[in-house]
Amino acid sequence: MHHSLSMPETTLNARITYDDPLWFKDAVLYELHVRSFQDSDGDGIGDFRGLIERLGYLADLGVNILWLLPFYPSPLKDDGYDISNFTDIHPSYGTLDDFRKFLEEAHRRRLYVLTELVLNHTSDQHPWFQQARASRDNPLRNYYVWSDDREKYPGARIIFTDTEASNWAWDPISKQYYWHRFFSHQPDLNYDNPEVLEEIWRVMKFWLDLGVDAFRLDAVPYLIERAGTNCENLPETHAVLRTLRSRLERSYPGRFLLAEANQWPTDVRAYFGDGNECHVAFHFPLMPRIFMSVRLEDRKPIVEIMERTPAIPENCQWATFLRNHDELTLEMVTDVERDYLYDEYANDRMMRLNVGIRRRLSPLLENDRRRVELLNGILLSFPGSPVIYYGDEIGMGDNVYLGDRNGVRTPMQWSGGWNAGFSTADPEKLCMPIVSNAVYGYQAVNVESQRRSLHSLLSWTTRIIRIRKSTRVFSRGTLEFLKPQNHHVLAYVRQYRRDIVLAVNNLSSCAQAVELDLSQFHGLIPIEMFGGNPFPRIDQRPYLLTLGPYQFFWFRLRQI
Amino acid sequence: MDSIVSDEFLRQITAIGQVDVLVSVPTADNRHTIEHAVNAVQIGLAKYFPRERTALMNVDAQSRDGTPEIVREAAVRDFQSYLAPTPLRSSPIITASCHPSLGQAGALRLTLTAADLLRAKACAIVSPDVASLTPEWIDALLRPIYREGLDQLTPIYQRHRFAGLLVRNILAPVVGAVYGYEIEEPAPDEISFSGVLACHLLAQDVWQESFMRSGALMWLTTTALAGNFRVGQSFLGPKVFAARHFSPSLAETMQSAVGALFKSMEEHQAFWRQRTSSQAVPLFGFPVDVEIGSAHLNRKKMFEMFRSGANAISSILAEILSSPTLDAVLQAANTADDHCYFSDELWTKVVYEFAASYHRGVMNRDHLLQALIPVYRGRISSYLWENRGAHLEELRKRREVLHLEFERMKPYLIEKWFGET
Repeated sequence: MHHSLSMPETTLNARITYDDPLWFKDAVLYELHVRSFQDSDGDGIGDFRGLIERLGYLADLGVNILWLLPFYPSPLKDDGYDISNFTDIHPSYGTLDDFRKFLEEAHRRRLYVLTELVLNHTSDQHPWFQQARASRDNPLRNYYVWSDDREKYPGARIIFTDTEASNWAWDPISKQYYWHRFFSHQPDLNYDNPEVLEEIWRVMKFWLDLGVDAFRLDAVPYLIERAGTNCENLPETHAVLRTLRSRLERSYPGRFLLAEANQWPTDVRAYFGDGNECHVAFHFPLMPRIFMSVRLEDRKPIVEIMERTPAIPENCQWATFLRNHDELTLEMVTDVERDYLYDEYANDRMMRLNVGIRRRLSPLLENDRRRVELLNGILLSFPGSPVIYYGDEIGMGDNVYLGDRNGVRTPMQWSGGWNAGFSTADPEKLCMPIVSNAVYGYQAVNVESQRRSLHSLLSWTTRIIRIRKSTRVFSRGTLEFLKPQNHHVLAYVRQYRRDIVLAVNNLSSCAQAVELDLSQFHGLIPIEMFGGNPFPRIDQRPYLLTLGPYQFFWFRLRQI
Repeated sequence: MDSIVSDEFLRQITAIGQVDVLVSVPTADNRHTIEHAVNAVQIGLAKYFPRERTALMNVDAQSRDGTPEIVREAAVRDFQSYLAPTPLRSSPIITASCHPSLGQAGALRLTLTAADLLRAKACAIVSPDVASLTPEWIDALLRPIYREGLDQLTPIYQRHRFAGLLVRNILAPVVGAVYGYEIEEPAPDEISFSGVLACHLLAQDVWQESFMRSGALMWLTTTALAGNFRVGQSFLGPKVFAARHFSPSLAETMQSAVGALFKSMEEHQAFWRQRTSSQAVPLFGFPVDVEIGSAHLNRKKMFEMFRSGANAISSILAEILSSPTLDAVLQAANTADDHCYFSDELWTKVVYEFAASYHRGVMNRDHLLQALIPVYRGRISSYLWENRGAHLEELRKRREVLHLEFERMKPYLIEKWFGET
C-alpha cells in the first residue's frame, strides 16, 4: 500500500559533492541533539535555527559530519526514537523549511549531515500503528507483528531490562499482543511485509532528496523475527539491508548507511556484507574496553578486542566513540568485566541504567584532563571514523538524577551567562535543566571561556582533530600493535601507503619507561606530531621512551 | 658499585611498574614440576585476585634443565575450565637468576627487591615441587595479607602425624616460648608477607651472613615477630611433594633451620628477653584433622644412632651442656631397653643449653649444631615410642604440653643465655 509523502520544495544543495566515494572514511563525526544545542526563539527548546547559528563553531572545531538525534514528530517517550511521523520535523525544533536552511548552511561549511533512520519500530502514536490496531482486518495490520501467544519467540532477550518484562505487549483495542524489542510504546515494524520496506525506502528518499548525506540505522539487528532464534542478526535482516543499500547506491551515490548494531565485532561484520550492506558500523565492544584499560592501567582489553575484530571490506569503515547519547553500554563485556566497570565507574547506583552507565566522558574520568586527552588520543588514532558527543569537547558534566538517559542530554554550555547561552527563556522553561554544579556547571565549563584559552580542552580538541585530519593514515591505515614488556603502554603503528604513524599511550597514572621494537623502521626519524620536534633516529636497538602519567605521543616516522 | 639487580631484571620491573600482588617461585632444576606450580599460581591469581595488578616471579638458581624457559612459556589456555575468570589484565612473568651459592637468601632477597620496587602490597613465596599446590593456596596465603592487613603469614599443613618432627620438637616450641607467638611452621617453604615487611627485611644488614644461605625463611619469620609486625597462620591443607630431586639431610636441616633460629635469637635478644608469655596468632582457613601420607621412620635405628652418637661425642657435649643435663642425656642413651625416655623438661633444657652455647660461642657453631643431631635422634626416638598409638588430637595436646614446658623454662634460657641467675 502506497502512502504519498509531501515532497520537499527544494532539492540537494549542489555545494556538497561526493568526489571520493569513500569520503566517510576520513570523517570525524559530531553527535548532537537539536533540542539541547541552541534555542533561537526563547521557548526553552533547541531548534534548527539555533543550530544554524552554531554551525560556525562546529566548522571551527573541525568535525565533518553532524549526526543529529531524532528530530521528528514524536510523543517523546524515548527522546524522539518513538517517531509518529517519519517525514516531518517536530514543531518544537522548527519546520521543514528550517531544516532545509540548516542543510544548506551546513553544506556551505562542508559539514555533512547524518540523520536517524529508526527503521525497526515506530511510536504507538504513528498513524500506521493507529490504523493497524484499529481492527484485525485493517490494511495496515500487517505493518506490525501480532500474536495471540505472548510466549512466541522465547529466545529473544529483553533489551530494556529495567522497564520491560516481555517483548510482547497487549493491545486492548484489537485484543492481540504486538511485538516490541524496546519500549512497549514502540511497536516493531514487520519486515516480512514487503510494503514496510517500500514505506521505509520512501522515507529515505524523502530525506535524501532534501540533501541528507547519511543515515544511522537504529537498532538494525532486530528487524526480523524467527521462531527458534534469538531474533537478532538474521539472514532476512541482511537481505533488507542489501535492498536498501543497492537502491541508495543506484539513486544516491556517495551517501552512506551507518549501522547501530550493539554486537560482537564478528557479528557486526555481517552488516558490512561484501561491501554491499552498511558502509559504516559502530564498534561497540571497543568503547567499554578503552575505559577498562585505562582503569586497569593495562592494554590487554583493548588489544584483545582489536585482535578479535575481523577485517572489513575496503569500502567500509568502523565508527568508534567514547560516549554518546545512550548509556555506556556494557552488553558486550563479560560478567566479570561488567562488575568491574560498574564498581569503578558507577559506584552510585543512580549512575546505572539498563545494562550500562549513564554518564558523560569527563565525569567518568573524574574530570581528569590527562585521561580525557588520553582517551581522545586513542579514539582519534585508532582505525575508524571517530564520533565526538556534543559537549565532551569542553568537558561537560552530567546530571544522573534526570531519569532515563536525559542526564547526558542537557543543554550545551555556550557561555557563563543566562542559561549558559543556550536560551533566553526563563530557566524553569528549559527543556532540560542546565548543569550548574561547581565543577561542571556552565559558569565553569563553557565554550566562550574555553575559546579564550589556547590551552583549554576545546582548543586542544580542535587541535587534535586537525592533526588527525592532516593524514589519512588514521582513517585508512593498517593497525599493528607493538607489544612491549610494559603492559601499561599501548603502542601501535598505523600505516597507509608511505605514511607511517607510531602512537604510544601510557595508560598508567604513573610515569613509565618503555622499550619499543621499532627495528623494522630502522633509519626513520620520529617527528612528534603535536609540536613537530624530531626525536632520535630509530636504529636496531630497542627504542626507549619515557611517558608521564596518562601521556601519549603520536610520531610520524619519516625518512629524512 | 655492586648491585643484586641486573639490568635485565630492572628492565622487567620497569616494564611492570607496580603490582598489588606478587608471587615468587624459586627454582633449581625443577623442570618436571614447575609448570604445575606456575599454572596453579596463575589460576589462583585470576580466581582470587581478578582485579588486582599481579605478577608471577621466578628466581632460578641457574637451572640446567630448562626450568626458566618453561616458566616463561607457561600459560593457562582456558581459565573457565578451572572455574576462574579470564584475567582482566595482562599477567606478567618476571624471570630472574641468582647464583646457587646464595641459596635461600639469594631468591628471597630478589623477591623482596621486586616486591619493594613494584610496591607490592602482598607477596607470597611458593615451592616449585609441591604436588598438592592448588590455586586455593594463593588465596589462603595472600588474602589475609592483602585484605586483612596482616604483615606475615605462615602456613599450617595437613601432614602425617610424624612428619615435621624437627619443627614440632625444636623450631615451633622455641619460637613460641622465646618470641612469644605460637607459630606451627616458623620456617616453611611457603610464606607470605606485606610490602611493608618486605621493605623492612630488605633493610636488614644480614644478607651477607652465611646462615642466610639456608635459613633465610626462618630468619624472615623471627624478624617479623621481633619487629612487632602482625603475623598470622593459614591452613593450606595437605602438603605432598612431587618426586624431589633433592631432599636435605638432617645435618643440613639442622644447620639451616636450627642454626638460623639460634642466629636470629642473637639478633633479637633485646626483643625476646622482655617477652614473658606467648600468644596465639590469627588463624585463617578451615582446619581438617585427617592424617595423610606416611613417614618412614626407623625408631630403633634412631635410638641406636643416639646411643652410639651421644657416647662418641660426650666430650663435645660436655662443652655445650651442663653436667646434670649431659648426665641425663647419657643416662637416656645408655638405657638397657631398645628405647629411651626423653622427657619434655630434659629436651627443653638440651635445646636451651645448645642455644646458649651457640650464643656464647663455646665452639665452632657448625660443629655445635652437628652435635645436636644425635641428641635430637634420642628425643625423636623417645617421642615416637611414647606416641606410637596416639591420634592426631592426642599429638596436638602433647605439642601443647611441650610448648608450655618451653615457656615455663624460658627463665632457664635467659639464665644460660645472658649468664643471669
